[in-house]
This record gives sequence, C-alpha cells and structure tokens, in this order.
Amino acid sequence: MTPNPWTKHYPSEVSPELEKVPYANLPELLRAAVDSYSKTKAFTQVMPNGMNGTLTYAQIDAHSDSFAAYLREVVGLKQGDRVAVQMPNCLAYPIVAFGVFKAGLVLVNTNPLYTAPEMIHQFSDSGAVTLVVSDMFADRLAAVLPKTKIKTVVTVKISEFFPPVVAGIIRIVQRYWSRTLPKINVPHTWFQAALKAGKAAKSESKSAGYLKGITSDSVAALQYTGGTTGVSKGAMLSHGNLVTNTLQMISHCGTGMRKGMEIVLTALPMYHIFAFTINLVAFFHIGARNIIVPSPRPPSNLQRAFDNYKITWLTGVNTLFNALLNERWFQDAPPKHLRASAAGGMALQASVSERWRELTGTPLVEGYGLTETSPVLTFNPLTGLSKDGSIGIPVPSTEVKCVNEKGKEVAVGEPGEIIARGPQIMLGYWQRPEETAAAIKDGWFYTGDIAQMDADGYFKIVDRKKDMILVSGFNVYPNEVEEQIAAVPGVLEVGVIGVPDEKSGEKVQAYVVATVPAPSAEKIIAYCRENLAAYKIPQGVTFVDELPKSPIGKILRRVLRDDVVAGSNKKGA
Amino acid sequence: MKSIMILAEEVANEATVVNEFEQTLLRIFILIIMFGLGAGLTPKDFGLALKRPWGLIIGWLTQFGVMPLTAFILVTFVLFQFDPPPGVAFIALGALIMGAVPAGTTSNLFTYFSKGNLALSVTMTVNSTLWAFVMTPLMLVFYSRLVGLDESLDIPVGELVTVIFGLIVPVALGMLVRRLSANAGSVLELIGGVFGLLFIPFLIAIWVPRNWQLLLTTQWPTYAVAIGLGAMGMTVAYYIAKAIKLHPMNARTISLETGIQNGPLAIAVIVSVYADSPGLDQILLIPALYSLFIVILSTLVTFWFRRANVAEEQKIPNLL
Repeated sequence: MTPNPWTKHYPSEVSPELEKVPYANLPELLRAAVDSYSKTKAFTQVMPNGMNGTLTYAQIDAHSDSFAAYLREVVGLKQGDRVAVQMPNCLAYPIVAFGVFKAGLVLVNTNPLYTAPEMIHQFSDSGAVTLVVSDMFADRLAAVLPKTKIKTVVTVKISEFFPPVVAGIIRIVQRYWSRTLPKINVPHTWFQAALKAGKAAKSESKSAGYLKGITSDSVAALQYTGGTTGVSKGAMLSHGNLVTNTLQMISHCGTGMRKGMEIVLTALPMYHIFAFTINLVAFFHIGARNIIVPSPRPPSNLQRAFDNYKITWLTGVNTLFNALLNERWFQDAPPKHLRASAAGGMALQASVSERWRELTGTPLVEGYGLTETSPVLTFNPLTGLSKDGSIGIPVPSTEVKCVNEKGKEVAVGEPGEIIARGPQIMLGYWQRPEETAAAIKDGWFYTGDIAQMDADGYFKIVDRKKDMILVSGFNVYPNEVEEQIAAVPGVLEVGVIGVPDEKSGEKVQAYVVATVPAPSAEKIIAYCRENLAAYKIPQGVTFVDELPKSPIGKILRRVLRDDVVAGSNKKGA
Repeated sequence: MKSIMILAEEVANEATVVNEFEQTLLRIFILIIMFGLGAGLTPKDFGLALKRPWGLIIGWLTQFGVMPLTAFILVTFVLFQFDPPPGVAFIALGALIMGAVPAGTTSNLFTYFSKGNLALSVTMTVNSTLWAFVMTPLMLVFYSRLVGLDESLDIPVGELVTVIFGLIVPVALGMLVRRLSANAGSVLELIGGVFGLLFIPFLIAIWVPRNWQLLLTTQWPTYAVAIGLGAMGMTVAYYIAKAIKLHPMNARTISLETGIQNGPLAIAVIVSVYADSPGLDQILLIPALYSLFIVILSTLVTFWFRRANVAEEQKIPNLL
C-alpha cells in the first residue's frame, strides 16, 4: 500500500499514527490532567462587564465527583442512563459534563435556545431521565417535561462559583434589570444543593463502581445533529471516540499546544461538538486555562476577556473571526499574546483568514469535521505547510478520501464526496440503524460534503452536497460565490442559495448583510462578473439585517431556502 | 433690566448656587463616578488616544477656538442687541469666562453614557485643563477687549491643579483596582454608573427648587446665551469632527467634551477673582444658568447619540 500523500507534511514532532491510547475512558483522560495540574486555574468565566469566577483543576475534579455521586446515589440513575444538559457556557458546565462521564452515564448536550417542540424531540428521542438546565431557560419545562421521561431537574445559575458579592449583583441585574430569570413552575433542585447532597453521599468505593464495565466502546455522549437535513438524530460518541479525537488533535497541533501554558478563549458554546472536544476536553487535558464566555453576541462581549487575560489560543468559526475583525476595539488592540487560532464548523473565507493574519500576526488555520466524527477529521498543520482555503490534512490515524457516486476514489484534484475512517468515527445514530447503515459503509463514514484532494494530500471543501445549485445542468457551489461576494468592500456576511427558476431550473440568489451605506447590488454582481463564470453569477442580491445561523454561527442556507419557499407561497395565496 | 438685577441678587445670596454641603456631596459623587470610569479603562486605551492624536488636536481647537468664539458671538449678537453695554457688561463677562474655561468632568460621564471614547474624553479633559493655565486668561483678555470690556484675569492655579488631580487620581485608582481584581473593578464601574445616573436628577433636584425664582425672572437673551453656548459648541464640534471623518465614537466624544465646560471652575474663578466687584452676582448669572442647562442639554444629546448610534454604526453580525 502506498503511503498517504499527506504523511510527509506532518511537522517533525507529529507521528502519523497515534500511539496506543493509555486511557480506557474519558474520566481517566481527565484524571491525568488533574493529577498534573491540580492547583492550576482550569476555567474562568468572564461576563461582558469583566465580572468573573474561577475554578482550579482540583475544584473541577472534586465538584464533578460530587455531582457524579449525586446522580448515582441521590437521583438513583443506573449506568448508561441519559442526562440532558442544557446551558450556555458557564462554570457549572464542565462539572456537569465531567460528572456525567464519571458516573458512567450518557451526556445529551442540548442547545439552550431550543424551542419546546425541539426540546421534546431531543429529550424523548434520547430517553433522557434527568435534565440539568440553566434557570434562564427553565420556563419551557412545564410544557416539555410531561412529554418526556425526565423525572429529575437540576437548575443552574449563570453566576455559579462567582465570588458572593459579584454573584449577588449578577442575580439582581438578571432579575430586575434584564429580567432573564423566568418563574420555574416544575419541581427542581438547585445545582449547589445537588452538589452538597452528592458530596455527602460520595465514597471512593462507590465511585470506582460507576465506571465498572465502561470501556472505550461505551457510549459517552449522544450529540444531536442533522438539523440541517431535517429530523435531528443523536450521534453515539463513545468514550474511545472522544478520547482519541482529543489526542489526535493535540498530537496534530504538536508544539502549537504547549502543556500547562495555554490560555484559550472559549467563545463558542461548549455544548457544540467543536468547542466540546477541542476547548473543553483537549485544552483541559494539556493543563490550559479556559476563559469561557457565556455568549459571544454581540462580539463586544469578548472585549473584557481579551483585555483582562493573556489569551494565547482562540477557536471559532468564520462568523466569529469576521465579527471580531469588524470590531474597532479589536482592530485597535489585537491580542498581543495570541499564538494560534483554529477555525472550523463552516468554510473559512480567504478574505477573513488573510485579514486575521495581517492584523494579529498569528496563524488562523482551518480544520474540518462533523458531529459524527467527534469532530476533527482534518486540520492544517500549525507548523509547516498551511494552505489557505484548504481544510488541511487528516489528523493522525485517520484516513480520508474523495469518492464518486459508486464509492470509487476519484483522481487527485477531482471533486468527490469526502469519506473518512478512523477511531473518531461515531458508533452510529442512536436507535436509527437504517440511517447508520446509510452513513457508515465498511467502516467508512460518508460525510455528504464534496471535496478535492491535491497532490500534497491537502483537502479542499467544494461544498455541501445538498447545498449544490444546479443552474442549467452546471454545478454551482455556494461557497465559491460567497467567497467572492465576501471580498466586496462593505459586505459583512453573505449566504448564497439556489432558488427555483423556470428557465434554468435553479438560479443563484445572494443574501447580504452589509454596512451602512451598503454597496449596491449592481456593484456586487459586477464584482462577481469579473471573477466568476457567467452561470455562477447571482441573479439577485437581497439585503437583509441578519442571516439565519446555527448555534455556533454557521449560516443556515436551508433556512434561507425555506424562507424563500414560504415567501413564494405567501405571495401565491 | 431691573429684573436681571433682582435675580442677580438671588444668585449672590446663594453665593455659589449650591451650598457648601451640597457642593461636598457633589464632589463625592463625581469622585465615585470618576473612580468607576477609571475602572473601565486600561492603559492601552490611553495609549490609543495618544497614538492617534487627531481627536486630541481637534478637541483642543474646538475647546479653545470654538467655545470662546461662540461666547463672543452670542454676547455680541444676542445679549448686546437686547441691552448694549454697559448695561449687561457683567453678564457678558460671565459668558466670556464660561466660554474660556476648560472642559468639565461631567463630559466624561456623558461620553460614557453615549458610548463615546472614554479614554479620549478623559485625555481631552486633562489636556484642556492643563492648557487652561495659558489659554483661559488669553482667550478672556482677547475677547473681552473685542467687546470693549477691558478685563484681564489671573486664573487661580490652585483651582486648576485641584481639577486635574480630582480627575487623574480617582481614574488612576480605578484602573489600579481593575488591574488587581477584575471583579472589584467591574463592581466599581457599576456603582459609578449608578451614581452617574443619579447625578443628573440629583443636580436638578437641588438646583431648581432653590432657584426657581431666578429661572422665572431671567430674560430670554440671557437664557439664549447660557443655553446656546453649550448647544452651539456641541453642534459645531460634532460636525467638524464628522467633516474630517473621525470615527463617530470620537465625534460624539469631542462634541460633548467641547460643549460641556467646567461650570464649577468658572464659578470658583469668578468668586475668587471678582469677590469685591459690585457686579459679582451678575457675573455669576450665566455660569449658574449654564451649569443647570448643560446637564439637561447633555442628557438630551446623549439620548440622541445613543439612538443615532444604532443607525449609523456598522451592523455587527450576530452570533448564536
């Protein structure tokens, strides 16, 4: 077998194959960090005005032990039971997530912005029996709980573990000023009470038993995905998936992730797989300090975090980097201590990565992965050859190739569906054997993304299979058009979709968020005319205030398309 | 003219418009507010204000160019039209002093609330106060000659030094506290903000009941000068800053910084320099009225800035 073309591009310290993984499950991986860094600050939550709270590695460890004991001894959960967790980034999150793992239970991350029907679907599909929820979102529970199997509700405050005076002020502001504390009309236990009860109930001998039988193949988390295709389904991520993907990422970054020295800004929500594996687990494992921000919206919420902490690492999506680049305070004083940034979740636009490098003087490398792959499949190497517009090379112990409709590998440079094999591929979709069989064939996971590989083994995403626009038989990839429009001065964000057209089947339509004054539609189209083939040029440009986005800020073309359909129906009626 | 004389007496009776106790209270208020404002700043913010000195330069020009000139124009074309000198000479003198004094501390507060550039605002206040040693007497001599009032003025150095220290010390302390503890810093900032909000109604509450008679009997030209000085100063400075394409945030800052003069300083200067003048009460009239109306005016302008802000500044893409 010929060696993979990308192997020679690994930095010298990166081994193409991961060494034998010394941790059987996530708690063992976490324990290793706590043993080395117990007194180090692990998580600092920063509010938009700079108020903050901090927990050390030892505190995270002790509290998550207590929470594990609470779930097993007080609530009485059994190994493998599902625990839904629904909260924005806050200090309680790592305690809850780690506590669930330590208790031998299964974590079901849930978007706090979900509506009642979405919550009902996810809770009943996963069969969750316990819910840990932010008190800011608990008002929907009365309508949701009766339609699920949830019997226990633990409520978490955003100010958990803050110094008392500061926590008190935050509570007052939430209650009387921003009015973000709805009345909770279901029986519930406050998080601190749960911890106290857990602490009283815990014992070494019992704790050891929670993980009996938990191997690398046991399900650790049900991570819901597929919102972009319709019905949301739970990807079963095993302990082994998450442990190896963590180690793959760390190994791939080589000297870019320094043990015990990094300060990483976590602006993306940790309930999302990107920040979950990379920020929460991987950076914890290397003894980093995590600066967590409950909401990066508006981006000025991040200013105090950048002001007050020497951020060395940042993870984000194109939308976040772009937003920061448009912030005056960020332009005036780009972070001095920053060393590297990683982009994922959606295509990183060349104009954004160029401006980022110019302003901060640090690399912004793009990677690629999916919920089903824990998530990292490929990344540009931090040291060595990094290619713009490319998602980089597969992380160690991962095989990636592009195939045609028949599943045959296409030639170098040819577009094909990207498929992957490695220890990070999920076990399958929870209780959906048919969908699992359609996605995983012979151990290869079919991503549904179209990509091409160059001679160096670097991959480039062409587009999402489903987002492809068919104009008179020609394939138009929205990414390519968006890339051009984003480069027009005054364009802040852009989403391109195909809309039905009588003549050409589909036509290209652009939705643009622009500065005031906005560049004219003619100017945008003229720019495209210079840089794109005729059939790719948008037939229309619509200016909008905002584009629909996923929890991490990915622009949702599906929602744009649905809006168009809904709009034309309305017109017809 | 008789009415003006009567109200001037009122002013004289009150000596400094607010009494000793209220003045102390106001000072404490301002100290807390400045402390809080300081806690929102880092040295980096000041570095930026100095690194891009355009705001500072324009601010200087509007402060000592536009404001004294505005006072002069208002005196000549409004006050003197109504009653030429020597009838209102003392009132005119008060107006010219008001135009020549440096920026006031409350400008920082309003800059904060109108989402301006706070570091620039503080830097501008310090800068104009330092320059006041030279510029305030110079401008006063120049314009008072021009209107035919042969006046010269020694600025009491002690007052200016007090202003500068009263500004720098709490701001520096606030910054220090934030450096030592971000939590303590943000709590201070919050307290400062709350006091800032209370400051305006507090000021009006102690001023209006005591001086309602003055308000009722003052003639419109005096009002026009007292209110017009701040209003014109803010407007002209804003459009100059806009015309040379300064960032809207800095334009707002310069506007407020220019229009808001140091009223208490003007009053203190007058009381110490003209203590024996028969016209003391009349000289105090404009600074007293100005001090009241600038608070109301700045509040309105702040609301307008906050609203204009949303439409004018780039839209920030939303996350989540």
